Amino acid sequence: MAEEVDRKGAAVWLARSTAFDEVLRVLVDEPTEGFSAWARTTAGIVAMLLALQFVTGALLSFYYLPSTEGAHTTVAYIEKVASAGYWFRSLHHYGSQLLTLFLVLHLAQKFWRRAYARKPVAWIATVLLLAFVMASGATGYSLPWDASAFFSTRIGEGMASGLPLLGETARRWLLGGTEISPLTLVRLFALHVLVVPFIILLVVIARLFIFREISGEEMRRAWVRNQFVRNATSASVVFFALALFATRIHAPLGPPATELLPGYLPRPGAQFLWLFQLLKYLPGRLALAAAAILLLIIFMTLIALPFLSLASLREITGRPRRLIGRAVFATMLALFFTLTALAYIGDLRDPRVREQLAHQRADEQAFLNEPFEPLRMGVTEEQDAASGRHGDAASASGNFNGSGNSNSQTSSVSSSTPPAAYTKNCSSCHGSRGQGFFPYPKLTGVSAKPNRTVEDLIAIMNNPEAYGLKPPMKSFAGKLSDTEAREIAEWVETLKKPQSGRR
Amino acid sequence: MAEASTQHDDNNETKSRRDFLLLIPLALFASMAATIAAAAFRYLRPTRIFGEAVWTDIGPLSQFTGARPIMRSLETERAAGWANMVEEHFVFVLPDKNYQVLSAACPHEGCNVIWRDEDRNFFCPCHDSSFAADGSRLSGPARRGLDPLPSQTENGTLKVKYQSFVNNTSERVVRG
Repeated sequence: MAEEVDRKGAAVWLARSTAFDEVLRVLVDEPTEGFSAWARTTAGIVAMLLALQFVTGALLSFYYLPSTEGAHTTVAYIEKVASAGYWFRSLHHYGSQLLTLFLVLHLAQKFWRRAYARKPVAWIATVLLLAFVMASGATGYSLPWDASAFFSTRIGEGMASGLPLLGETARRWLLGGTEISPLTLVRLFALHVLVVPFIILLVVIARLFIFREISGEEMRRAWVRNQFVRNATSASVVFFALALFATRIHAPLGPPATELLPGYLPRPGAQFLWLFQLLKYLPGRLALAAAAILLLIIFMTLIALPFLSLASLREITGRPRRLIGRAVFATMLALFFTLTALAYIGDLRDPRVREQLAHQRADEQAFLNEPFEPLRMGVTEEQDAASGRHGDAASASGNFNGSGNSNSQTSSVSSSTPPAAYTKNCSSCHGSRGQGFFPYPKLTGVSAKPNRTVEDLIAIMNNPEAYGLKPPMKSFAGKLSDTEAREIAEWVETLKKPQSGRR
Repeated sequence: MAEASTQHDDNNETKSRRDFLLLIPLALFASMAATIAAAAFRYLRPTRIFGEAVWTDIGPLSQFTGARPIMRSLETERAAGWANMVEEHFVFVLPDKNYQVLSAACPHEGCNVIWRDEDRNFFCPCHDSSFAADGSRLSGPARRGLDPLPSQTENGTLKVKYQSFVNNTSERVVRG
């Protein structure tokens, strides 16, 4: 090893004390130069983005609370208050989309030079990575528990139920119950931050350290190292581009799922747009089942690819088979990118959709500009409901009737009791004090919204559809007397949004 | 070795060039890591937990009569990151000491003291510190008497400004 003896410092240490050189040799395929060498740096970019997802994910978990009560507030805290929080969120959000893109490009690049035949394990590992990265994205979209998260959960539910034979079982296991509930969010959280990343790590470890495929000829150490430099360069270019992008572009965060407005148009993340577009072309109930099966077929085919191209098979079919394979793969890629483009174009061309999406973006922006509202913690339900929140001092010296106004500056619910007609007709959905009851919207703060005066509220109770409200909100015309409706409306009007804390 | 033979003609110049090449990825990784680390440091920095001391009603003056300290509870609210912590605290009003208000938190480790009418003293159930009816220290590990709180009377209502103090010091140091 004359070469190593001449080297100094880090290079010698790396070569002698670590499996660094070995890992590099396992990673790279046949030596090339120029464009094709740079094209292969998708590997380095994928590695960097994967590491970035782990780091930013860990950082986000330092503030995130996986509960239907806390999730949205804590994500809003990361977005609005925590220093650099929005940057990490954006890195994580757009990083996951980029990771999917580069994994697809990486597969395409491997496919093109038939690397799946030379190094089948590396190929299968990459396909598995793509599958689990997409699973990670799908579960991750639910975590902020805003409107789009709610729909993301719905779509996941639909796709699980679309699986052949096991549909209903898969749906219930995913949701943790027969319906979407607080259990669902915790389940998706566990999948997103523990189960899926653990599987991804296993795949990476297996790829690097367990299956040691070194293709063909002995490779020149110098070339391997040059290729490593190229990878690092590409990865850092992508990193700094993403880092700059994330300082300017925030990851989307809408108002909480409990404030869902009728007519909301859910849009998935960029890596799922093609699937979303595909669903438009398939008939209603079949669509989600077809999507689930299609995804299964795509991944099964990709994994099976190395076995389909065994030497013996190739001899039978000869060269044209290879061309057919390339054509199929190229068509798949083209479909993937075309459908994604079509999804964007479709949204741009329909004026009503464009208007609604612009409206949703404006809502998101308005929410981002609102001051942060902290979670109130440590006060019990009964104390909160008893408006004054007076602690009943367990004092030996008699009853305590003091004003419980204490020094709090916030009041998350109204201080007056609701009219009996409200409790009877409205509270089962909107909560005993207008606080809402998932997934039904809360009424606190509605008076601050446009078209929600007392008269409007009375009109809504009589004819919700006239105000664009959709079922399950039903008309109470004839069920409430005018006085009762007015009492309810006046009371709802007093429900103020919780004021923000001292920030 | 195959590598060694192919590298045989290399002169010192290309060797040092390759060593230099290896520094490029190291520098790139370092700069990426440093970018993340600098932001992560700001992001993870501990938050200051704060709440303004505000005047809180603890009841009309007419309620506070007799020769025994009277316990009341009050709530404070403090901002801690994404949470507003609502905490309950206990105080004793001394009707015969010009309505002086004492914090029930023992200045030793912060347990709530109780009033023992038969001994006419405050007693801490945690480490047996005891305090006289005016709050001054009698015995036990506490290093000072019970902490008096700022109080005032407005329109016949007693108000108090709740504060916490640092435990286990002989001087009173307001926390926060």
